[in-house]
Amino acid sequence: MRKLRRTRKQRRMRMQRLAVFSVLAGLLLLTALFAEQLCPYDPYMQDYGSVLSAPSPAHPFGTDRFGRDMLSRVIAGARTSIFSTLVLVGIISVSGTAAGVLCAYFGKWTDAVVMRIADVCLAFPGLVFALAVSAVLGGGTGTAVIALAAVSWPKYARLARSRTLEIMSSDYLAAARLAGDAPGQMIVRHILPNIAGQILVTAVLDMGTMMMELSALSFLGLGARIPTAEWGSMMSGGRSMLQTYPWVVLAPGSAIFVTVAVFNLFGDALRDCLEP
Amino acid sequence: MMKKEKNTGRKKRTAVLQRLVLGMTAGLLAGIFSGCTVREGDSSTYQTGEESSTKTFVFGDTTFNAENGEADINPRHDNGGWACIRYGVGETLFRFTDQMEIEPWLARSYENTDELTWKITLRDGITFTSGRNMDGEAVKECLEALVSEHDRAAGDLHIAEITAEGMTLTIRTEIPVPTLINALADPYACICDVRAGVTEDGIVQGTGPYRAVSLTPDTSLELVKNEDYWNGEPKLDEITVRTITDGDTLTMALQSGEIDAAYGIPYLSYPLFENDGYTFTGCATSRVFFGAMNFESGITGDPAVRKAIAMGIDKEGFVEGLLDGNGYAATGVYPDSFAFGGDAVTAEGYDPDGAAQVLEDAGWTDEDGDGLREKDGTPLVLRWLTYPSRQELPLLAEAAQAMLGEIGFRVEIINTADHNRLRSDSSAWDIYVSAMVTAPTGDPEYFFTYHCLDSSDSNDGHYHSDRLEELAEEMARTFDVQRREELAVEMQQTILDDNAYVFCSHLRMSMIAKAGVTGLTAHPCDYYEITVDLDYE
Repeated sequence: MRKLRRTRKQRRMRMQRLAVFSVLAGLLLLTALFAEQLCPYDPYMQDYGSVLSAPSPAHPFGTDRFGRDMLSRVIAGARTSIFSTLVLVGIISVSGTAAGVLCAYFGKWTDAVVMRIADVCLAFPGLVFALAVSAVLGGGTGTAVIALAAVSWPKYARLARSRTLEIMSSDYLAAARLAGDAPGQMIVRHILPNIAGQILVTAVLDMGTMMMELSALSFLGLGARIPTAEWGSMMSGGRSMLQTYPWVVLAPGSAIFVTVAVFNLFGDALRDCLEP
Repeated sequence: MMKKEKNTGRKKRTAVLQRLVLGMTAGLLAGIFSGCTVREGDSSTYQTGEESSTKTFVFGDTTFNAENGEADINPRHDNGGWACIRYGVGETLFRFTDQMEIEPWLARSYENTDELTWKITLRDGITFTSGRNMDGEAVKECLEALVSEHDRAAGDLHIAEITAEGMTLTIRTEIPVPTLINALADPYACICDVRAGVTEDGIVQGTGPYRAVSLTPDTSLELVKNEDYWNGEPKLDEITVRTITDGDTLTMALQSGEIDAAYGIPYLSYPLFENDGYTFTGCATSRVFFGAMNFESGITGDPAVRKAIAMGIDKEGFVEGLLDGNGYAATGVYPDSFAFGGDAVTAEGYDPDGAAQVLEDAGWTDEDGDGLREKDGTPLVLRWLTYPSRQELPLLAEAAQAMLGEIGFRVEIINTADHNRLRSDSSAWDIYVSAMVTAPTGDPEYFFTYHCLDSSDSNDGHYHSDRLEELAEEMARTFDVQRREELAVEMQQTILDDNAYVFCSHLRMSMIAKAGVTGLTAHPCDYYEITVDLDYE
């Protein structure tokens, strides 16, 4: 009885945690969505009269060396950083899962070819490979997303493939096959719903990592183009001011920290609820 | 009883564990400290041993690298002369005073016997660091090697024949070269012992206060005192010049004491050194940050667009706001310190509304209201080619991007270390923004010869003006200094009227050193850094 109560209590706490972090993550997404409306100043407007001013009521996060308001730039940067991360995670989870499921389902040469390509992608250190890809494709947020997608999809393909293989040997799938379900139906009705939870948790947990990698590419000058407000490139632009005008680096740095932490904790909470 | 035994057992185990942990920690600490002691002992022996005899100095520089053409200190190789003269290895026959007037250095005097003949008398008692005596023959060999190996020198000097007789050198030129003496003060004309040769690392034997002993391109140069220096006794025994291309790394190196003085600290780091621990030395130079328009481009080929660019850049705002006063807004090619510089010419002033009107009148209009102007379906996109090794350039690009954006341009910045290759492809850019010393020899001719004429090496935008060609021809044969200055003004005005170039700012060059460093003085020509006077208490 006591055990049952404790389990119930634990579940309630898990749900509460999930609620808190989903609200926080939701807030971040809303900030990104309504960035234009939320910015107190034009994030690209240069003002040589107030270059590098310290945080004040007029500019809560201070201004950068071009006199641009840091708060506005951080908010505008949320759109670039969060949306490009969402797009990236969307691409890799969908394409990776599709590849993994198809490999497991059809096996034979499809499996052999796709998995060997995946092995090749995994053979290089992630960020280094992404650097090479984005150096070849040229700078820009779009190419940074493509570069990271090219190195990150195999994780999902492997996960989806092993889970699908597991499900394929289950009795209910054998029953479905006997009942005459077409391959498409089997995948959509029986396989995908069973692996979706795990893929979703992995994707949410990946948000933080991907955001860091996108920022890293921008920091190195291969991501967002000047003057686009993007957290990684803002930090890169301000790194010479770390000792003299720290707010120029701290504002985007804290934004990355908070966002990555929120998405990671949200992912944790989601996992606790879906896979107790 | 059982419980007690169990407890005792646990206690024993805990005690053993504690001892183990303590022992390991102690061992680790002992190891660390013994390591420290050994190192401390070593370094103190090194210091006490060295202190009495060796005085060392480390100089950090952002520009001593292959990207700048300074892979080594061979004056006959690319821009190696800059490194040769800056770090006290080589010296020239003539040098510049603080007022940028020419004065003899390794030479004692000169005489211009006719338009084509120059007679130079050398100073006695000077030896190269190789041990050879510097006489007319040695200088002749050096200059002959220079013109055969260095294209720019050959083009400046036009030497037909050199004859050496004792300490006298007679130079005969192919055509009248009014600026011969100035050219002999250019870093490429550092006098070195050609017979001693050039080592594999690119080390030459000069006459300067220091002798180079080893060089690793893009890393460091080791110098030792020249015991037989002719003009006083060098005060330091060993100097290391370290290449630190990243300004932030250079800042931290000076803060940590790894280097004793630095050239190229980013302006934004200046507040860190504005205290008793450091000294600044700075002065205005003729280095200008300027944009060259591409006349092959459909965008900057249009005179209205060029005019709008010239009117659309707020130079004062750039200098005051972004360089924090570490520069001077430019009008023409040369700064105020030259008689033919500063306000001697007029250029378009900052007038964004006027610029917008110029574009409007020329048919560049914004029909769809997206803020970007178009003409016959061509959007007003300006490809701004620049490079990162001069810290002001990316800043200027980003500032201009916003300024020109307001009048309907879209500026695409191409900021790359590969700029020298890209600029030779005139389809790749619309405006090339760089930083150049415009009067390295104190004379105005250089800038036009190298940038603006049909025959110029660096006229990558293919600018052409009949009037300018005529004036340049006249300048090439004019010996009268005053007439040369008048021509310089007229030539500047010609290129400014065509808006072929837009001059944004002149550099204020600064070096920062630890307090206690003396004899390190910024010079307007930016050539002389490590001299016989350099000392560190």
